[in-house]
Amino acid sequence: MVMTTHDEKMRTPRFRVDDTPHIVVDGEKCRTCAVRSCVTVCPANLFVLLDDGHVLFNYEQCFECGACYFVCAVEGAIRWTYPKGGFGVTFRES
Amino acid sequence: MTATNGSEHFDVIVVGAGPAGSAAALLAARAGLKVILIERGEYPGAKNVSGAVFYGSTILNQLIPEWWEQAPVERHVCRRELVLMSPTTSVSLDFRSAAEGYVRPPYNGFTVLRPKFDRWFADQAEAAGAFLLTSTVVDDLLWDGPQVVGVKTRRDDGDIRGDVVIACDGVNSWLARKAGLQRELRTHELSLGVKEVIGLDESLIRQRFQLAGDEGMALEYVGAVTEAVHGGAFLYTNRNSLSLGVLAQLSSLVEHKKRPYDLLETFKAHPAVAPLVRGGTLREYSAHLIPESGWNMMPALFADGLMVAGDAAAFCLATGIYIEGINYAMQSGLAAAEAAILACRRKEFSRYTLSHYMEALRQRNVLTDFQAYRHAPGFVNGERLQNLYPQLAALGGEALFRVDGNRKQKLLPLYWRTLRQVGAKPRHVLQDLYQVARAYLW
Amino acid sequence: MRIAVCLSRLPDPETVEVDPFTGAIDLSRTLYVLNPADAAALELALRLRSDGDSVTALTVGPLEAEQVLRDALAVGVDHVLRIWEEGRTTTRPAVTSLLLATALRTEGLPDLVVCGSRSLSGGSGKVPAFIAEYLDWPVVTDILHFSLSNGRVRFRRRLPRGARSEGEVTLPAVLAVEAGTAPLRYAGLPGLMQAKRATIAHRQLPELGLSPMDLNFPSSTAHAAMPPYPRPREMFIPDSSLPPEERVAQIMSAGVAQKAGRIVDGSPEEMADAILAFLQEHGFVAGPA
Repeated sequence: MVMTTHDEKMRTPRFRVDDTPHIVVDGEKCRTCAVRSCVTVCPANLFVLLDDGHVLFNYEQCFECGACYFVCAVEGAIRWTYPKGGFGVTFRES
Repeated sequence: MTATNGSEHFDVIVVGAGPAGSAAALLAARAGLKVILIERGEYPGAKNVSGAVFYGSTILNQLIPEWWEQAPVERHVCRRELVLMSPTTSVSLDFRSAAEGYVRPPYNGFTVLRPKFDRWFADQAEAAGAFLLTSTVVDDLLWDGPQVVGVKTRRDDGDIRGDVVIACDGVNSWLARKAGLQRELRTHELSLGVKEVIGLDESLIRQRFQLAGDEGMALEYVGAVTEAVHGGAFLYTNRNSLSLGVLAQLSSLVEHKKRPYDLLETFKAHPAVAPLVRGGTLREYSAHLIPESGWNMMPALFADGLMVAGDAAAFCLATGIYIEGINYAMQSGLAAAEAAILACRRKEFSRYTLSHYMEALRQRNVLTDFQAYRHAPGFVNGERLQNLYPQLAALGGEALFRVDGNRKQKLLPLYWRTLRQVGAKPRHVLQDLYQVARAYLW
Repeated sequence: MRIAVCLSRLPDPETVEVDPFTGAIDLSRTLYVLNPADAAALELALRLRSDGDSVTALTVGPLEAEQVLRDALAVGVDHVLRIWEEGRTTTRPAVTSLLLATALRTEGLPDLVVCGSRSLSGGSGKVPAFIAEYLDWPVVTDILHFSLSNGRVRFRRRLPRGARSEGEVTLPAVLAVEAGTAPLRYAGLPGLMQAKRATIAHRQLPELGLSPMDLNFPSSTAHAAMPPYPRPREMFIPDSSLPPEERVAQIMSAGVAQKAGRIVDGSPEEMADAILAFLQEHGFVAGPA
């Protein structure tokens, strides 16, 4: 299939998940955020806006691109590092 | 000094086994230096994403003669097309050449798949004597006063000491930021690229893109392809797959609240693109940031014991006509290695010795290219160039080629009317013409 | 004590892509990993090692399989050995186990062999059992945990449907460890660098005293013996002499009679005694000590 859903896309890279998250989002700080740009830009769609204004983040299928970090409007809401060596996303063809 | 393995001393520590890092490690190792090349992925290329066309064959050919004979390359690019788009229409400039430089070795450029190409290139550095350490992330630099004396990896007993550190750790370069060489990047300086590799039968690719043998094509798109978001798109032919993707300026993506992967689907569905990808199967989806502002976001390139190269130094030239990065990454890696070799020879690793890096970058035409095109990124990402002119070209084309029994208009009045139709002010057009001239002509 | 760990390098199932039309596997897109059960076996072996002990990692495979031995060296095993017959492309479990057992013999028999229970996806778990057969040692499979006491191995096994069993086995023995029982430690930098530089010892058939003919087994078939499940149950037929509404009620209850309750009366002491007697009688609690 050429036209694909986001779920289908996310099944194609290989992820080796570490026990500890490499990106930690302080959902409490996100409540005060007016834009929540992370939700929009994340190419893996890992940020979910909850009804109560919290932002939920799942690090497991992260592309480690850094987009969320650069668009984040609230100081210190995203603590960003790379995953431990050998973990995280592995591309085979990109 | 303890004698444990972890505190083993290297002449050169290269962080990141992409094109910049592997080139630096290769050259330094060939000069007889003790080099370690550190990569956080399971293998070099595992975390690397770009289009990808490698327009640096002649550069690499000097390093590894006839490299394309042994490297995993896909197709040599001898056809390029620049496409302006409105939602329904496209107008394109098609370039095809059978000139020596395009169809004979060393060729002008090759499409490559980065995980395969980067892995091969790092293997060449290893074969030259560099120590390739994979699956290891570098978190910080080691300092002795103002002097960088090594790196800190995220492993037990993870310090590695060395005389020169070359940071080729990519667009996010934490090392350049930690060393105070780079400021925090701004969202208008970065583009998010989302990409798919789509499997397609080899014969079908030749047929659709009118290619023979290993000939390849690179198509670049601007205009409605990214809706109102500033950006562009690309489609490259590999051996039996297509690489296609959308680049979107991060700030513009935020402003218009568009999801990057939705833009990718819009692009594939465009009437000018759909017939090219029909029948393909998704093989891999990926994403990466691109430092698009070139000259204007370049960090300080060296400090005592430290140099920055590749994407980490924003050596990615995005001018609208050219989107080139791998060649500049390699060139900058080689330049950094030259400076490191000089420093090791003099046994003097201060910024004064490493300033030779700037000299080497100039000799390799890296800095000069970025300086020459320093106005281009701002112009390329301008509102009118992004949306108005592609639309203008498309609408103009629609009016020009339509036969409906009405009186035919000559070109000037036709485009004048189209100009009014899309709401462009002649004053702005003149302004932009000046900008184009400044960005590209002189 | 000398401990041997058998490792295997396998395609990561996440990266094995099968063409839906031709059934062909695109090997150029496959990534390889250390079999997760083997990683757990390695970790448990390393935890067991104390001063004076040694851990040796073995694998059967081509040159690329060296990677799992380097992974093992990086986390601290003492010796590694790769066994392979050049020109071979695959091995069957019987061949793999024969090669491993023979290598263990020629290198000096260890006190304990630890294997992964089965390979990732579709593994039959034959290798540990075959090794034990070739060595004529006892084998314990499906191990979740083991420790050493007085020259015997105390182990906990996984049984079907969530049950566990515990027991002991004398040395020498073969243990097969379940995947996921212990995450493999993350290598330190010095270990990783040493592993990368190490020369991996390698044995071919002649060095093991084997000829290619020895590996030429007829194809084998595995027969699984299982307790019969689900158990057959007799169809319930209602008593035809009863009035219709009672027959309907019988059918609705599917023949299961309402459990008869019993209400105990008396003083608190009497009631407690009665309940206790009931529980003992039905085996819920052990009898009075």
